[in-house]
This record gives sequence, structure tokens and C-alpha cells, in this order.
Amino acid sequence: MLSLQHISKYYQVGGNKNFVVNDISLDVDEGEFVSIMGPSGSGKSTLLNIIGMLDEPNDGYHYFVNQPVHQLKEKQRAALYKQYIGFVFQAYHLIDELTVYENIETPLIYQDVKGSERKAMVADMLDRFQIVGKKDLFPAQLSGGQQQLVGIARALIAKPKLLLADEPTGNLNSKQGEEIMELFRKLNKEDGVTIIQVTHSEKNAEYGSRIINLLDGRVESSRKF
Amino acid sequence: MIKNYFKIGWRNMMKNKFFSFINIFGLSVGLACCILIALYLNYETSYDSQHKNAPNIYQVVTAFIQSGSKRMALPNTPAPMAAALKREYPEIVETARLLSLFTEDKTIVQYNPAQGERRSFLEQRGFLADNSFFKIFTYQFTEGSPVNALANPRTVVISQQLANKLFGSQPALNKVIHVNSNTNGEQDYTVTGVFEAGKTPSHIDANFFLSVNGGNMEGFIKRQQNDFASNNLFFTYLLLKPGTDAAKLQAKLPAFINKYASKDLKNIGFRKEQSLLALRDIHLTSEVDSNVTPPASKTYLYVLFSIAVFTLIIACINFMNLSTARSSKRSSEVGVRKVLGAEKSTLIKQFLGESILMTLIAFVFAIALTLILLPLFNQVSGRAITLSFSRDLVMFFEFLLMALITGILAGSYPAFYLSSFNPVKVLKGKLTNSLAVVAVRKGLVVFQFIISVVLIVASVVIARQMNYMRTADLGFAKDQQIIVPLRTGAAKAAYTALKTVLEENSSIASIGGSAYYPGIFNPSDNLVYKDGQTSAEGRRTRMNFVDDNFLQTLNIRPVAGRLFSPEFHSDTNNNIIINEKAVQEYGFGTAQNAINKKLYNKYQDNTSTFTIIGVVKDFHYEDLHLPVTPYGFFLNTSGFNYMVIHAKPGNMAAVLKTIETSWKKYDTSDPFDYSFLDEDFNKNYKADTRLAAIVSYFTVVAIVISCLGLFGLAAFSAEQRTKEIGVRKVLGASVKTIVSLLSIDFLKLIVASIVVASPIAWWLMNKWLQGFSYRREIDWTIFALTGGIAILIGLITICSQALKAALANPVKSLRSE
Repeated sequence: MLSLQHISKYYQVGGNKNFVVNDISLDVDEGEFVSIMGPSGSGKSTLLNIIGMLDEPNDGYHYFVNQPVHQLKEKQRAALYKQYIGFVFQAYHLIDELTVYENIETPLIYQDVKGSERKAMVADMLDRFQIVGKKDLFPAQLSGGQQQLVGIARALIAKPKLLLADEPTGNLNSKQGEEIMELFRKLNKEDGVTIIQVTHSEKNAEYGSRIINLLDGRVESSRKF
Repeated sequence: MIKNYFKIGWRNMMKNKFFSFINIFGLSVGLACCILIALYLNYETSYDSQHKNAPNIYQVVTAFIQSGSKRMALPNTPAPMAAALKREYPEIVETARLLSLFTEDKTIVQYNPAQGERRSFLEQRGFLADNSFFKIFTYQFTEGSPVNALANPRTVVISQQLANKLFGSQPALNKVIHVNSNTNGEQDYTVTGVFEAGKTPSHIDANFFLSVNGGNMEGFIKRQQNDFASNNLFFTYLLLKPGTDAAKLQAKLPAFINKYASKDLKNIGFRKEQSLLALRDIHLTSEVDSNVTPPASKTYLYVLFSIAVFTLIIACINFMNLSTARSSKRSSEVGVRKVLGAEKSTLIKQFLGESILMTLIAFVFAIALTLILLPLFNQVSGRAITLSFSRDLVMFFEFLLMALITGILAGSYPAFYLSSFNPVKVLKGKLTNSLAVVAVRKGLVVFQFIISVVLIVASVVIARQMNYMRTADLGFAKDQQIIVPLRTGAAKAAYTALKTVLEENSSIASIGGSAYYPGIFNPSDNLVYKDGQTSAEGRRTRMNFVDDNFLQTLNIRPVAGRLFSPEFHSDTNNNIIINEKAVQEYGFGTAQNAINKKLYNKYQDNTSTFTIIGVVKDFHYEDLHLPVTPYGFFLNTSGFNYMVIHAKPGNMAAVLKTIETSWKKYDTSDPFDYSFLDEDFNKNYKADTRLAAIVSYFTVVAIVISCLGLFGLAAFSAEQRTKEIGVRKVLGASVKTIVSLLSIDFLKLIVASIVVASPIAWWLMNKWLQGFSYRREIDWTIFALTGGIAILIGLITICSQALKAALANPVKSLRSE
């Protein structure tokens, strides 16, 4: 599904290159559930952002669903991204001014989905996550776990093939975290969504089918289950 | 999608009520200012548009050129000009003369009904007009017909307003009214028509039109039949054949002057150039002096327009600055939206939608504000502007368009700035404003305050000049002077007796009679020259005809010779008293030197000789816009237009009562009317007073909006630095140091704007002051004062926020982080 070859990302500090991601090559197949681990500053989030096309590497080749991302123009990349990728954040990043319903609906608006269709899709999603009763609440009125649930619902609404999650349970207590992880496993197994998550927690990492350990911008180890 | 933008915009607005208030208030006021000025400009440019023939109507303008003096353009011609022009040039379809009743400010108009009491009114804006006047100009008649309305002698066409006053609800047609005019004498006139006020204003704001024939002016005009040089009293209008090139016709006019007027002009010593002024341009041509109504200065219109636009710009800057300052609050939303698939263009549209929503709300308030302020604005500007939804629908759409454009302008910079955020960065954590954006914000604040400071300087300079003009020594005693106009023959005849009676009153200091008094139009002027000169070397000299106590009453002081006085019974009307300026211009050297010298004036073929018996100190017979020029007094014994009564300080009401009682005793038929000399004199500053009022109002508005913006930024900056302040306090900083820490950055900006604004303001206001012959020059105190005001206002604005932040409990602010 995606292939990174010799990807590097660095910042010029004085005359030196300060590598955040250093010559990483990585292939992920469709249906995988990958956990990326590593200490702070090891380049986990940067790598995830590069995969998610939010950040551009300085060097290397990046293929996604057989398209050379490193050669695509901004517009094409955006189109590819919109169609295939969903994002979940540690801090949920819901839009405070929008209700639960509107937050979930927003990606569809940006993909020019018709109003009636949007309605049906959002209703479906609310149903599936059992948050119909909360659809008119604003994020500030929800608990952290509920907010993250909405965040995931929003990431899934456009039916992405790849779900990227940056420490999705980082701000949650262990029970809430477990629920979210169970949800991820279900999505991966039943719906075939490819998932790549960044996590600090060994326990959460083990929900995945592969664990990649990063250190100083390089892949230290990689193990599959 | 648009619904979505507006929804977000609305929720954001409600969430940040303080910032929304600043923005909407500023934009509402800015838009209201622009709408008011647009209405004003629309009104000023709509003059004389109701006349069907407007594109083909021209006024004949005469430029008087005399070697050694300034060229002077007046909209007046001698009486025979109109007829001769029509005879001479076939492209002129019709001509008409208009003559204002120029020696009076009010005319007595009376109606004696068959039953009931006689109605007597003092009416302004009376004119004599040719019968052809209504062939050229379009007037809506409610009674009678414009065709041949003034063909017969002693006919009058009156305004609907006057008709209502005179006749109530009764028809006016064919009623006979009695008109008593200083200029035209006393006659009965038959009403042949009533016209209603035009839908758009006209430079001819007539109240009534008398036929040229039937009054005293008829004889005068007949005597002037062949004089194309002097007595330039008539407004002459031409109706040209459609398609005529006015410039080509104008090019033929020197030949006309050559044919008809060259001999007479040579005699009196000046040249004349005729030009044609298109009807629609009359109101906005301030270069042509003393037209039927005072023209509007285009410069003033530009000034007003710029001030309105600048006010709106200040409001837009508030929007930009507050939006970008608060961008860190919106940044994560931008990041999330980008992650959710929003493109930059989509986000730009969203932010523009928000600013447009805000301006649309402001627009609604602005319209309401305009409707509320319109009466005040009319009062200040002296106009009768109205706004109605049904009539001015097109204008409303134009205003709406203006609001939309404002929204786009105000919103574009924040929109591009906000939408350019990199999602990875903003989602990772705090976004610090880039230096470039901070610099732009500072620049915009400086720009706002430059405008405000320039306006403050302008207000101060104008106020000082107005105060200077009101309090300047005019060279005569202007206070406690009561002017009683003597309009009718009976009143004029009663002057001496009235004077004798009133002089006995202990609260009256002195009484004098005259043809004119300082501050009003003085139409008598002659070219006067001394021994050894010809008329061509003569100097234009204003003339006044006074009694033997007028100069004493006004306390006009002699510097050589003597004044007219009852002790010198031998004074005749060949004796003249001149002012110092005349001494200088005729070339006598000193005042003493001029005494007993002869002066001459040539009129047609007669030469008059005068002997100088006195020289008086220069005094301002015209307002301080104009320089003092040669002036001469002649002694008369009767026929005065005005009685000037100098009252002793004390109970003015009682003095007026005494005068009225005596007046009624001697002249029961005329209504008693009076005015005060100082007030009459200050009427000349109406336009300046208006400008002063408008500029000061706009200054207040601009300062308020600027300060609101500054207030918002200060509040935001204090909020943003809450943690820093908390840490500093814990480390032992005093409230004082924290307040100065927060204020100093903003103060620097205000000082910078004062530095930039001062030379701009100096240049602009110096230009304005050039319009006054007598002025109070700009000095450093103005800038010190203005700088002080600006800094003080700025400090008050900032300090409240700084103080609030400095006084906050650091434990609280640190914990909340």
C-alpha cells in the first residue's frame, strides 16, 4: 500500500544537518496494523506526518497506492490524501465551535459530498459509535474518551483506506484507552482499514501486527507478530 | 458550504464578544461615516439636475482684469448683455436675466385680505427675473403656468411655501401682494404662478420672482441700455441650441466685448473676459465668487471624502490587527481543517466569509446609525438630505456593495495569513506570531494613529483659527451693536426722529445710520484716482454712505484729519474719509499727507471730485478671509438702509423693547426686525464653522475607533503575557514596572505616528490657512499639544489593560497554565 525508500528529514542548524528522520525505508501492506514506538524526539511523529503527507521529506522516495507522492503536485497530493487517509490526534483536535455532528461532517464537506448523502453517512457513523444522543453537544461538553471517539468517527467518515493515529490514547485513562484500542483492532480486522499508530505504551503497541522501534531518526528494530 | 462558513463565523463572533464588539462597532461607524458622506456628495453633485434643458444652459461669467490687481471672476454682467448676445449669435435660443434684490437681506411682502388683518412678512431670497427665465429653467407650477408668467409688469411667481404663508389654503393665483424692497421700491404685484420646490437642489434657491418691469429697477435698466462695462449686477443665463459647442461660442465672445464695451472699458480702465459656465457645474465652481448661492468647494468635498474613507480604513485595520493577533487561537482550527482535507482556497473563503458576515452586520447598524445621525448631519452641513428605502434603492445596493468590498478588504490579509499555517506546526503546539506579521501589525497601528494625529492637528488648527477670527480686533466695536434695517420709505423717513428719541435713552450709547455695515455685502465700488492720474490707474474702492455719527458709533478711529461730525455743518457729500489702505494704494505716503488732497472718479462721461477730510485706521469691513482694501465714507443725511445702535452694557432685552416701542410709534406699518453686528459678521464664517464641526466630529470618531483597536491589542497582549507577568511578579517585579513593560511598546508606536503625522499635518493645515488673509500661524505649541493629547489618550487606553494584568494574582495565572 505504501512504500518509503531512503526517506530523510533534517533541519539546517548552522552548517550541520540535524536529522529528525534519517534514511528510513519502510513498506506497509494493505490490512496491516503498525505501531511505531520510540523515545521522545526519535522522529515518530515526523515519520507519521510524512506518511500522512502533512510534512515533506528532504530526500527519498515515497509511494502511496502505487503513486509517486514525491513527484506529485500539491493539488494531486491533496486529492490523494483526501480520498485515502484519516487522521487521529492525541489532543483530539476537534473544532470547538462545531457540534459533534458538524465535526464529523466536516471532511465530507471538503470532499464535496452532497448534503443528503452527508446526512446519511454522519447518521450512520453516529449510530455505529453509539453517540447519537451527543450529536448536538460541543466538544467542551464531552469527556476525553468521548472526544477521541468523535475524533475517530471524524477520521473514518470519508471511508479512508489508511488511518494514521498519533498517540491516540495519550490523553486518556487506561480504561478509555483500552476501549479505543479495541475499536482500532475491530476496524482493522472487520473493516480492513490499514492502521499506523504512534504510541509510547508497550501494551497499546501490542494491539498491532507489527512494532517498529525508532531511535534518533533511524529504525532500530522491527518485529512482526 | 456558505451556510457552514456563516455558522462558524457567527459562533466565533459570539464566543469572542469583546473582539466582535470592537470590530462591529468600528465597522458600523466607519460605514455610517462613508454612507453619510456619500449621501452628501450625491446631494452636492445633484444640483440643477431637474432642469430639462440642463445640458444646454450656461451662465455668463465675467473676469475683470486690471493691471496690477488680481483677476476676479464674477457670475455677473451688465443689463443689456443678455439681449445683445441673443441678437448676435443664432446658436443662442434664449437668454434670461436674474437679479437678486441685492441691497437687502429681507424683503417685506404683505397681503391685505378682503377680510381680516393684513399679513406682513420679511422674506428672503427674492429675485427679479425675465419672462424667458421659465423657458430656460424647469419649474413645477402648482398654480398658473410658467408660460409668460412674468410677461406683464408687476407680476410675481412665488414658492409654494410663501403661498402657504400668505394665503393659507386659499388659491394664490391672481391675488395681489404688496412688495417693499430696498432695491426695487414699493409696488403691488399680481401672483401669476406658484412653484413647488424641486426634487433636487438648485443653485437658484428663489423664494419669489418679480417681473423685471414695474419697479425701480426698470428705469435703472433702461438708463443702462448701452452700458456694457459697469453695473455688473445681473446673472445672465443662455439656452443654447442642442449640439452647440459652448467652447466655440465662448471663443467668439472677445469680439463681442470689443464691439460693445471696449470704449467704456477703456474709460474706466479695466478689461473684461467672458466665459460660459455650464449649469450643472455652477454649484461646484468655487473659483467664481458670489454666485446666486454660495458654491461648494470641491476641495472640501475631497477632504470630507478622504476623512470618511480613512475612518473606514481605521476600522478595517482594527479587524486585521485583532484577527492576526488572535490567530494563535484560530491556528489549531486551521490545522485540523487542513488535516481534514481543506485546501488553502477553501479556508481563505471561510475567513473571508467571516469578515463579510461581520461587515454585513455592521452594515445593518450603519444604516440605522445613518438614519439616526442624518438630522444632526444636516444641521452641521446645512443641507436637507433625506434617505428613503423606496426612492434610493439603487443607492442602498451601492452601499451594500461598499460594505461587501470593505469586508473583503478587511478580511483578505487575515484570511491569507491564517490559511497559510502549516498544520504540522500549529497542531504540535503553540504558534508564535512571526516577526513579519508583528511588524505589519505595528505598521498598521502607526498608520491608524497617523490619521488620528493628523485629524487632531487639523481640529486644533481650525479651532484656533476660528477662535482667532471671532476674537480678532476688527478695527471697530462689534459687540453690543444692534442693527435695525430700514426697509421702507416710511422707515427711512422716520430715521432722524427715531434717532433723536432713542439717543435720549440712558442705556443707548450712540446711534448711526449707513448704507452698509461691516460683514455684509457692499455692492458700491468705484475706481478712484488722485491728481495726476487717469481712471485706468484708479483703485477699486468700496463706498459707504453714512451719517455724522456712524463712525463714532462703530468706534472706527481716526489717524489723521477728522471724522464727520454734527459740528461741521459745512460737510457736503463731496467730502470723503478714507482708510489707511487707501492712503497707501493711492500713493499718498502718510495719512497726514492725504488730508485735503483731491480724489476723482469717472463714471461714463462725468467726473466727480472729492476732498479727503480724514483718514481712519484700517478696519475689517469684510471677513478675515479677505484682505482689507481701499474704503471710503461719504456723508449723507437721509436714505440710510440701516440704523446702528450701540447699546451700553446691561439689559439687552430692555433696550430692544425700548427700540421696538419707539419703532412702532414712528412706523406702524413695518414689522420690527433687528440683528446683532457681531452675529452678522460671524455669518461669513458659516462654511468654516461647518468644516470645523465636521472635522471635529470625525476626529472624535477616528480616535474612538483607533483607541478601541489599541485597547483590543493591549488586552490581547496582556492576556498573552499573563504567564510572563506572573513569573515576573513572583520574582519581585512591582506593579509600576509591569505596567511600563506592557505600555512602552505601544507608546513607542504612538510616538512614531506623531513624528510621521506632524509634518503631514503641518503641510495640509498650512495650505488650508492660506485661504485666510488674516490667520494664526501654526507653531510648535500645536504639535506639543497634539502630541500630548495623543499620548495621553493612548496611555489611558493601554494602561487600563496593563494595570489589570499587573494587578492580577500571579498564583492564579501560573496555575492556570
